[in-house]
Amino acid sequence: MVPMLDLFWNMMKEEWRVHSTMFGSISFALFPIMIFAIAFMGSFLLPVFKSVLPIQDMLIITHGNFLLLGLMVGAFGLLGNEVMNRRFGQASLLAYSSRSLPLSERFIFANFVVKDTVYYFVFWVFPFIAGFALATPFTHISPIYPLILSVTLTSSFLFGLSGVFFLSTIYVRSKRVLGIVLVLILVIFVFAYKFAGISVTSLFPPLILFYSFSWTNLIITCAVIIIPFIISIALFIPEFTDTTKRYRNMLTSMTRKLWFFPYPPFSAKDLIDMHRSGSVVGQTIFSFIIPLALIWFFLSALTGFLPAYGIFLQFTVLTGVIASTMYTWLTQFDSFTSYSCLPVSVKTVIASKINSFTVLQLIPIAFISFVSFTTHNVPYLLPALVLCISISFYALSVIVYMTGLSPNVLLYDVKVLFVYLISVGFPVLVLGALSFINPNYALGSVLLFLPTLYLIKLGFTKWDVLDQPIF
Amino acid sequence: MAVMIETKNLIKVYGDITAVDNVTLSVERGALYGLLGPNGSGKTTMIKMLTGQIRPNGGSVSVVGIDVMRDPIGVRERVGIIPEQETPPSFLTATEYLNFVAAVRKIPDIDEKAAWWFDFLDFRDKKDVLCKDLSRGTRQKLMFAQAFIHKPVLALIDEPLINFDPIMQRVVKDYLGEYVKKGGTIFISTHILEVAEEICSGFAILHKGKLLHTGSVSDLKSNNQHLDDFFLSLVQNGAHA
Repeated sequence: MVPMLDLFWNMMKEEWRVHSTMFGSISFALFPIMIFAIAFMGSFLLPVFKSVLPIQDMLIITHGNFLLLGLMVGAFGLLGNEVMNRRFGQASLLAYSSRSLPLSERFIFANFVVKDTVYYFVFWVFPFIAGFALATPFTHISPIYPLILSVTLTSSFLFGLSGVFFLSTIYVRSKRVLGIVLVLILVIFVFAYKFAGISVTSLFPPLILFYSFSWTNLIITCAVIIIPFIISIALFIPEFTDTTKRYRNMLTSMTRKLWFFPYPPFSAKDLIDMHRSGSVVGQTIFSFIIPLALIWFFLSALTGFLPAYGIFLQFTVLTGVIASTMYTWLTQFDSFTSYSCLPVSVKTVIASKINSFTVLQLIPIAFISFVSFTTHNVPYLLPALVLCISISFYALSVIVYMTGLSPNVLLYDVKVLFVYLISVGFPVLVLGALSFINPNYALGSVLLFLPTLYLIKLGFTKWDVLDQPIF
Repeated sequence: MAVMIETKNLIKVYGDITAVDNVTLSVERGALYGLLGPNGSGKTTMIKMLTGQIRPNGGSVSVVGIDVMRDPIGVRERVGIIPEQETPPSFLTATEYLNFVAAVRKIPDIDEKAAWWFDFLDFRDKKDVLCKDLSRGTRQKLMFAQAFIHKPVLALIDEPLINFDPIMQRVVKDYLGEYVKKGGTIFISTHILEVAEEICSGFAILHKGKLLHTGSVSDLKSNNQHLDDFFLSLVQNGAHA
């Protein structure tokens, strides 16, 4: 018991120190306060929101957000060591210390799961619920709701966390089995929706629990969280690197093939990074398709309140925002120190990343095309694609300007995140509203390329003269 | 004799800490010059400023006759650099990394040149292994190869021998000696004084960001002094001052 508590406590301290080193103690400490403030003030706006969005849909979206948070925290936790090594050199986390400590990998992983649960509950979930709860005396909402939400939102978060651990455990064991599991989940949802007429959101245990709080539903919700956790811990195998593996030279041929790019060797390197790190498949599944599938899952609840094309175009807008994060895929295993001994500027490296980002935009283009075909929205495909790609590049330009080559770190800074949300949120809201009025107005989003180019140019100038941040 | 490195009143400040404090230094062509100092003395910061990786807060810095602040890329084109931490890209193989360096530096006949370095530094068997899977020593060999593959007029090396075994240390020391004999200039930063005493012609001692001394190893030897005794007395006096 003592090593368990010791390890848990040291993992908590380590997580705090990683965050406070990256983002500054004060900035990171402000994060839960910001969440508390948003929840507290947002509660007063509920009557306004209620007039445009039914409370049931607000609940779906809120639970969906916590589910996404769980997915993201889980994904980051699993990539933690690689990220640390790129940021701090030969650094390591306690989660990866089974070779130097007399503790098994499973024991350490079990601690890691408990640590993530407690840490993110304290810093993210609890401040939201506390903000909402504190506003109830003024908003005339029954205090029972914050209590129930404290259980159901926590469950949503843990559902995401356990889900991503479960899926990634399968991924490490067998990519084929993961594919089968994902297809199976998809088939169950499609079957339930198309043939049994069951709304997909009503299959989400934390929501079932919210609407019908009972011991049985609570046990079911706990079970769907705990069982994947237990399976993940039981099946957990660490990914040890095979240091004897040889690779053929891909760089030379790929550089030749990309001759028409402004920086062929850099783009070739990026694409090789993505391929060999498994990011093309892993990130596309965990950071693109799964979040978007969930967003579609929750947006589909709005059918009946909003026109079908409107939901599709809103989905397109969100796809654009998520597609912009592909820049973080390209920069996550890379820092300017890798290039500092070469005659290249920061501007050149950023520009090459933008080129590689442009290649990756084929993924959202294919995805939106697929969704338009399967949801009978083909007539709106052109405005949807223009909207998605314009927003993606615009959000990219904001990220480039705000964070340079370090989006994976700097976007967690409260000030940077706030400016990012405002800068991206405003045009996204305007374009979302316009596309509701007339789908063809979405074509106007092409105008976003003007500020996009301007911000990228400003970003080049800004990051070329600044010392590269060291984290 | 041409001056390859020249700093005047160079200053670098990080928050409340002055990492480099008013350093004036000059290194001539053909020198194997050692920047010595304890951990945290400002050596790495100096190298970063000399190679244009970070900008000084004051003073001027010129390398191979180029103002580093105005044209850092021009400096990096002409010099070879081995940074403090070996950081070849994780998912490229050693061969691919040298190909990448060649593409950026526009070096012809890279296959031939890479093959020579693999043999010379004895890591041909690792040439197709990903950089992230290489040992520290092999990564250091790779970084050494990338720094010299374009035959630079000046090489700036942060801790040149720290990850090498004794056999490779000998190979590298001999290479550096030959390189200087042929007219090249080497600027190393190290806290391993035996290495500095063995290979360096000139040296500077940095402590807490301040330049305590510049001189030549031969002068020291002619006074029957050892570099480590001299260094310790200077740094300890500096610490007490």
